[in-house]
Amino acid sequence: MFSLSLKEIKFFKLRYILIGFILFFVAALVFIISGLANGLANDNASSMKNMNAVSYYVSKDSDNRMDRSRFTATDVEKIKTNDAQPLGIQMMTLKDKESKEKLDVTLMGINPSQFLMPNVVDGKTISNTSNNDVVVDKTLEKQGAKIGNKLYAENSKTTLTIVGFTEDQTYSHTPTVIMNTDTWYKIFGGKENAGFNAIALKNDNATTKADVKNAVADGKFVPKQDLIDTIPGYSAEQSSLMMMLAFLIVIAVFVLGAFFYIMTIQKVNQFGILKAIGAKNKFLIGSTMLQVLVLSVVSIGLAIGFAFVLQQIMPNGIPFVFDFALILKFGGALLVVSLLGALFSTTSIVKADPLQAMGRAE
Amino acid sequence: MNTPLQLVNIQKHFKDGDNEIEILKDLNLSVEKGEFVAVVGPSGSGKSTVLSIAGALQSADGGEVVINGRDINQYSDKDKSDVRLKSIGYIFQAANLVPFLNVYDQLKLVTELAGDWNDETKKRADDLLESVGLANKAKKTVQHLSGGEKQRVAIARAFMNDPDIILADEPTAALDANRSKEIVELIAKEVHDKNKAAIMVTHDESVLHYCDKIYEVHDKKLRLRK
Repeated sequence: MFSLSLKEIKFFKLRYILIGFILFFVAALVFIISGLANGLANDNASSMKNMNAVSYYVSKDSDNRMDRSRFTATDVEKIKTNDAQPLGIQMMTLKDKESKEKLDVTLMGINPSQFLMPNVVDGKTISNTSNNDVVVDKTLEKQGAKIGNKLYAENSKTTLTIVGFTEDQTYSHTPTVIMNTDTWYKIFGGKENAGFNAIALKNDNATTKADVKNAVADGKFVPKQDLIDTIPGYSAEQSSLMMMLAFLIVIAVFVLGAFFYIMTIQKVNQFGILKAIGAKNKFLIGSTMLQVLVLSVVSIGLAIGFAFVLQQIMPNGIPFVFDFALILKFGGALLVVSLLGALFSTTSIVKADPLQAMGRAE
Repeated sequence: MNTPLQLVNIQKHFKDGDNEIEILKDLNLSVEKGEFVAVVGPSGSGKSTVLSIAGALQSADGGEVVINGRDINQYSDKDKSDVRLKSIGYIFQAANLVPFLNVYDQLKLVTELAGDWNDETKKRADDLLESVGLANKAKKTVQHLSGGEKQRVAIARAFMNDPDIILADEPTAALDANRSKEIVELIAKEVHDKNKAAIMVTHDESVLHYCDKIYEVHDKKLRLRK
């Protein structure tokens, strides 16, 4: 059965190459869009995604939005466990005194000696005593930021010094500027006025949660993904791209279904002859599905390779992330879709009449 | 079992709009081993219908189709295709070969369908290609063969699963007079050598002298020509 399928593909090369190309381009487009969705998600919320926390404690009336949630510094200090850490997030425009550029950034106030502190890839890290020192996301480099540059915050007349760079730490499409809690208080009018937006939890232990709840009232626990979904713009971007993907896959079912149907219809006479000399439906359907399987695996495989190469040559400005696990998932979905499309046409194999072999001169 | 094929009281109608047209009525035929039978008659007389009923390609409306002692007329489609695969060899008007296989693979395919590809059947394929004179073209694809050569491949294929019955439906319709003679002579030789029961439907009177018995379709029945 297998060799018969392959011999047919080999003989009718052009026909199969054309269908293979359709499948290849649909698959490539699916992978590119999923790569973009992934890239945008990272560009938007990588700081939250990469944060070493499983859930967050936010104000009850915050609609799960970090920017609407607020806890006072005095309440937060009552938390005894190290597995729950306060997190302050505020978007702001800073002025780089060296390059004279204005920078839109997200300030992030944390305890640098605890689990929220990301790895520093370049320069030094910050500590609880290194006041006015900050670690910033590497994307700021493109706007002229260098280690040692001073960033000026207009409202509090504070000057911050860049001591290091970190990677993949953005929030709402802006790079983050990470500082210790004392610097955070200074910018937002002292400890009595400054607050935090959320309390990040390293684990979901009941004792950790109880500890947080006892110290800070009027809050609720929210899983990390829920909080990411409410970052302004995040859901809108993701859902429109996901809708495109869903439509592409639905379109793929019908386009491939139509092509396989035409191809099968074309062969009805041949199926009739094969049936006349004793081939059974099972054999004919099996060898047709096998052809589709071979065709799909090859085309989707090539499309995966194509998406991988594309990621290497894509300009830096386009957020495109090749997530192999996700691409395999979509590739699997497309394989199922093309087999499903082929399954439509098997009814015409069952209907092919062996009597067709008789009485027809070539 | 010397009579592999028997048709007993066969009835067949076709629907044409509201009318039922009776094609065959109380038709009887039996073919012995080593016997090459011709069925002749004008177009539309039902001679091909006889062949398709005998060949399990369609069912009779009444009567018995006895192949190797079993009435197959009421068999399911799946069982009928088994009968076609193992007990019957067909030679069609058009050679009806598989377009993308070479000559050798045409023979291999039917044996593989029967799950029978082994040393013995490999040798049989070689012998058959030898006896139809195509041993040197075994690796050619069918598109490079002439009409006569294609029909020879079809003949070899018909004998490949060593069936008891060979059915030929106007095997010479697409060929010129000389080729026609060669082809029918070849079928006759193979049928006699291998001791098969064979029916050939034809309207070509010039090849009838190769056949042992000649039946004419007459009044929805078969009548032996004396």
